[in-house]
Amino acid sequence: MNTVRRAFDSDVFLGLVRYRVAIILVATVVIAASMVPGILEFRVLSLSLDRIGTTALVAAGLTLVLITGKLDLSGGAILALSGIAAIGLQEQFGQVPAALIGLGVGVLAGAVNGFLVVTLGINSLVATLASMLFFRALCHVLTDSRPFSGLDPLFGLAVSRPIAGTFTLRTILFVALLVILHVWLTRAVAGRNLFAVGSNPASAEASGIRSNGYVFGTFVFAGFTAGAAGVIQSLSVNTGSPVFGESTSLLAIAAVVIGGTRLEGGRGSALGTLGGLLVMAILTTAMEFSNVPAYIQSIVTGVILLLLILLDRFVSGKKGRDLSLTALLRSLRESRRNPETERTHAP
Amino acid sequence: MSAPTVSTDRVVKQGFLARYGTQFAMPAGILVLLVVGTVLSDRFLSVGNLTNVLINMSIVGIIVVGMTFVFVTRGMADLSVPATLAVGGLLVLMLDDVIGTWPAALIGLAVATFAGLVNGLLIGYAGLNPVITTLASGTIVLGIAQAFVGGVIVYGEDPAAKDFLTGRLFDVVPMIVLIFAVVAVLGHLVLSRTVFGRWTYAVGGNPHATEASAVPVRRVKAGAFVLTAALAGFAGVLLGISLQAARPGIGAGYEFDAITAVVVGGVSLLGGSGSIPRAIGGLLFVQLLTNILTLQGVPSEPQGMVKGALIAGAVALDVYLRRRGGRE
Repeated sequence: MNTVRRAFDSDVFLGLVRYRVAIILVATVVIAASMVPGILEFRVLSLSLDRIGTTALVAAGLTLVLITGKLDLSGGAILALSGIAAIGLQEQFGQVPAALIGLGVGVLAGAVNGFLVVTLGINSLVATLASMLFFRALCHVLTDSRPFSGLDPLFGLAVSRPIAGTFTLRTILFVALLVILHVWLTRAVAGRNLFAVGSNPASAEASGIRSNGYVFGTFVFAGFTAGAAGVIQSLSVNTGSPVFGESTSLLAIAAVVIGGTRLEGGRGSALGTLGGLLVMAILTTAMEFSNVPAYIQSIVTGVILLLLILLDRFVSGKKGRDLSLTALLRSLRESRRNPETERTHAP
Repeated sequence: MSAPTVSTDRVVKQGFLARYGTQFAMPAGILVLLVVGTVLSDRFLSVGNLTNVLINMSIVGIIVVGMTFVFVTRGMADLSVPATLAVGGLLVLMLDDVIGTWPAALIGLAVATFAGLVNGLLIGYAGLNPVITTLASGTIVLGIAQAFVGGVIVYGEDPAAKDFLTGRLFDVVPMIVLIFAVVAVLGHLVLSRTVFGRWTYAVGGNPHATEASAVPVRRVKAGAFVLTAALAGFAGVLLGISLQAARPGIGAGYEFDAITAVVVGGVSLLGGSGSIPRAIGGLLFVQLLTNILTLQGVPSEPQGMVKGALIAGAVALDVYLRRRGGRE
């Protein structure tokens, strides 16, 4: 029993937990590659990344919202609204300005969320539920509940076609965005402040961080990425539809949480979100290649999600440990050098 | 101590609005809607129309009762309602030609309750975040239900049971409304008159102090989710029998409808306060508003704009009144 406890408490185990997203990603790739021949072909990978692209852009914005301890259910509805603006305004303004207006609609919708949560003080779950209902209904009013097509199908083709035979625009966008976000979150002062706001808004405020400003900013940013996702999605199929993105928000939340970001706020990683998204993309593609029905896929996603939050709950309480990759490697080297000495930790 | 809502008597100076606003806002709002509806349409204030409003709110009303418990225990919300509702509806229609409708209904109810038990264990005992947990468990349960029926529509074989549920008692009271009324009254009595109800408020109000008072906090919190799943399963059974057809997506949107009603009724997400009558009042308000809009010829999809604005307005008003009242 004691050995088991020590095994669970060891740096190596905690390190495994910390880098669980990477481990799960590798495991998924290995299992998928061994069971589904041809999945590691470049063309297949590129396609499966493109398919998760829309969800991924929403998830990128959502990562910041979750780090501040808030929730945003309205991403899918903002996505549809921005897409409708980008397609529907093509006649009046031209194609490029309409796409830009679509992005603006996303930013504006995010600002509405920020207003509800920060200015009016409404709980973010309820506030974004309200705005989700509102934006979705607005989509139906604007389109008369019918999907409609844009002027020129060729205009959107650039969005859906792989650039220089590699990845599509949205794949490059979401990967780049998440990497930049990771650097910003870990290196920039403002990024670090975001974690402080998420852990404890009051003490962050007392330390001179404008908590409300940060929360407002994350909602605007989430609106922007959802808007970008909507514009790209609508352009690539040359259609504006009131039902686009109905399940996107929940999928995006799942990807972010699989990536190790917590709903309680104060903890998370953009690189983790990228990992979570890749896991979901490869899982979906692998299961579709082997003719697994969609409902089995949702069971698998749900189980992975549940196991990860359970693991997170039971192993997260350890504070004051340096679990960075370099520290782990160092501790491994040390324990190999003198295996007889018991290493002790500061409590 | 009449109502277990947080007492405000320690705050000496309170505005009139702050003291009575939260209590009388809802009845006043419903009254205003009745007047507005009567003015706008001569079909509104008729027994037939108002009975329809009641029938329409019965299924979601049963879920609202459970969701109120979740809100009061500070359990945020149960997003697995569509799954548990679908389980009830699918199972009763799949099994009704094998073992009869009423035993099948019991099985549907039992399986939905079991799903709630899993929710309760994960949230109450393991301490997981309710939103993400019920999201994940809902996905799993719905997936299993779909795998079970093969992802198609299930049809029922028992028109007699359908006639019973859609019929009226003494040709006056619709059966489904009667069932809803019984559930609501029982739920209200449990929440306001029993030890479990007191514990529910205590757990939501101050979990640490409640734990220190030897109240089984985990069990109470788990109980709220078990209750919600059971009631959602029950609602699914009723829906399945009265439609005699069910597909796995039958419960979509019910979770948000229930949350809307509870929130409009002024029950706080922070837990520790609220009551079944308030939540039902919120539901009635939303349903009357929907009915007025429908009578005015507004299609159902755009009505979401009104609902969204209503939720934001109701909660913003609640937050404002609480701040005015010196709480928080």
